[in-house]
Amino acid sequence: MPPSDPGTMAKLRLVGASKRFAVHDGELEALRPVDLIVQPQEFVALVGPSGCGKSTILNLAAGLLRPTDGMVFYDDQPVTTINRSVGYMTQKDTLLPWRNAADNIRIALELKCRAMPRDEAALRVAQIIELIGLKGFERHFPAQLSGGMRKRVALARTLIYEPETLLMDEPFGALDAQLKLLLLDQLQNLTMLRRMTVMFVTHDLGEAITLADRVIVFSARPGRIRTIRSIDLPRPRDVFKVRFTSEFARLHEELWDVLKDEVVMGTDV
Amino acid sequence: MASQQISAENGIPVVVWQIGVGIGFLAAWEAVGHTASGEWTSRPLLIGQRLLQWFSGPLYPHLATTAIEVVAGLLVGVLSGSVAGLLLGRSPVLAVVLRPIIVAFYSVPLVALAPLFIMFFGLDILPKLILVSIVVFFLMFFNTFAGAGQVDADQIAAIRLMGATSRENFLKLVVPACMVWIIGGIRIALPFALVAATTGEMLAARRGIGFLLSDAANQFDMTGLYAALVILMLLGLAVSEAAARMERRLLRWRDATE
Amino acid sequence: MPIAEPSQLMTRFVATVPGRIAARLVVIGALLAFWQFAPGKALRFWMSGPVDIVARLWSWILDGSLWEHLGATLTAMTLGYGIGTAVGISLGLVFGFLPKLHRVLSPYIAALYAMPKIALAPLFIIVFGIGIESRVALVAITVFFLILNSTLDGVRNVDRDLTQALSLMGATRSEVIRKVLLPAALPWIFTGMRISVRYAFTNTLLAELISANMGIGFLIEYYSGMFDATGTYAAILVLVIMSVGLTEVLSWVERTMARGHGRA
Repeated sequence: MPPSDPGTMAKLRLVGASKRFAVHDGELEALRPVDLIVQPQEFVALVGPSGCGKSTILNLAAGLLRPTDGMVFYDDQPVTTINRSVGYMTQKDTLLPWRNAADNIRIALELKCRAMPRDEAALRVAQIIELIGLKGFERHFPAQLSGGMRKRVALARTLIYEPETLLMDEPFGALDAQLKLLLLDQLQNLTMLRRMTVMFVTHDLGEAITLADRVIVFSARPGRIRTIRSIDLPRPRDVFKVRFTSEFARLHEELWDVLKDEVVMGTDV
Repeated sequence: MASQQISAENGIPVVVWQIGVGIGFLAAWEAVGHTASGEWTSRPLLIGQRLLQWFSGPLYPHLATTAIEVVAGLLVGVLSGSVAGLLLGRSPVLAVVLRPIIVAFYSVPLVALAPLFIMFFGLDILPKLILVSIVVFFLMFFNTFAGAGQVDADQIAAIRLMGATSRENFLKLVVPACMVWIIGGIRIALPFALVAATTGEMLAARRGIGFLLSDAANQFDMTGLYAALVILMLLGLAVSEAAARMERRLLRWRDATE
Repeated sequence: MPIAEPSQLMTRFVATVPGRIAARLVVIGALLAFWQFAPGKALRFWMSGPVDIVARLWSWILDGSLWEHLGATLTAMTLGYGIGTAVGISLGLVFGFLPKLHRVLSPYIAALYAMPKIALAPLFIIVFGIGIESRVALVAITVFFLILNSTLDGVRNVDRDLTQALSLMGATRSEVIRKVLLPAALPWIFTGMRISVRYAFTNTLLAELISANMGIGFLIEYYSGMFDATGTYAAILVLVIMSVGLTEVLSWVERTMARGHGRA
């Protein structure tokens, strides 16, 4: 839900933030200086070819990396250490293989920083398992679950401690089309329900337009912002059908024009 | 082109062949044993007799000695090795500095140091226990050290984002992740422990299966020698089986089924 | 997701190559100094000291005895390794071609494999005498089992369809072995050969400990039997140098082979 009140404090703000890495034969510029603002409860999609720095932006927001230049602000405070207000979901599901699904989901609630009593934690785990559609698989180990199931566990694990912001790095990349739509639908429901702010990285433009309030298109490496486009499609969106509307098609065509050039340039490198 | 399964249904089942080969071998052995070179080869019947006699009493103190050396040495070695590996493995500074030194130590066949310990500690159980402990320690340490340094960085990041302290990171992530390495290390260490104990006993001892073996050899008691070999073979099989079972039970979560 | 970058002084110091080497030298130097100067009179008997140990080693180098013993160990190891590998690969290929034979014999092979090979040493000494043959036999049997297993692994992994395809083209049995089975199983065989070097080394030494008149293992046993701590440690030092050298050679071989492979 894009808020229109200009006085609202931005949730996440990057000001001239860039990142360079020292590699063995010089320097790698992962991200050129970028200015970016994400409003509270906004769903922002970052789209661009591989290597353009989208993941770096997420890492900066999470506090896993410090910017080489510029600053990163969360709730108007500079991000200096690991940002515990965010949940982070990657393409590779980092489930702990020796814990079953329920225990994997519960792990965030076991930590001292939350001080949650065991029965309350168990209740929450049960609730989210129901919500996300994992009922019956609680005691399965990751090795026994299909890719889609593992993704759901990873999503549940990220959401269970109710972070106010969600960072997602191509989380549904490896899944088949049907499953992807199902999970996108669930993601929309959950983030709307909990009024979460989301930054969603993807290379799939359709995915971005389906879910986002704003789509930001990046150029090829080293990345700069090419275009920012508000998506005015009404909410809540029917994830399965919205892609067949003419409005969607128009947006897709417009943004694909921009993205296509970047993808081509990216592959020439 | 279909791949054909060679089934045992065409002809006699495998088990029968196996038993047949076994019996045939023993029969041939028995026959050779009655000839002139029978002195060197002994005979299955005599060996069997000796084994029966052993199992009725005299074997057990020796068996117990070897068992204590192996089991106690394993416990000490596994505990100290894995703890040391875990702690040192998490310190990047120590890991980098000590790495080549540890690798150098690891390449030395520690069992060859058996005479050193016998020189220090004498003939009895202690030097073998220490030898087994040290052999196992280094195996476990190296494995765990390597494992601790290889914990998935993404998993560490994920758990820290959730709010884990360093201690929680260590207990909930590093230690369980290393269990795979630890258990794998134990699996490798078990047969080595048996080799170390046996070697020590063969060099200098008053009791133990290895002692039985070298004692028989010294007296040219071929029957006793072969009997001791049979016991060692059975011990070796028991050790491998124990190792395999332990790994299967503790690492159940690894099997992918759907 | 990368972890936050480390920022302590120590870590940065150690990250540089000279820094690392300096740190290691400090650690080793401290240990050696402790060894040389700390023990009192009584402990000195058991512990000796770095200076004495190196002096003894030097005397061995000068009078040539070191090379004799080194040669004995290396000869036994190499001969045993060669024989074990040759027999192991051959039998592995035979079993690969006659899987039924393999299945019948496999429990016996497994039983023999589980037994600590060192236990065969006294038997070999009785049969072959105290000379180098008994040691070669022990190493050969150890290596044989390992190579056999590796070859069988490799052969089992060869696609049946490949061998059948060649047979249908009219290849004889030996041609199928030479053109398909052996080349396809090579990676597994090479892995086995790499792993066996360690075991060959260890078992040569163990055999020398049990009963021998030459070799590095023999030296360790001899000096410890005489309660000559310095001699024992000097022999162990040779052992350590040999072991590290062996590891380096193996790594170099691996790297060279990997390069050759990559280019192909």
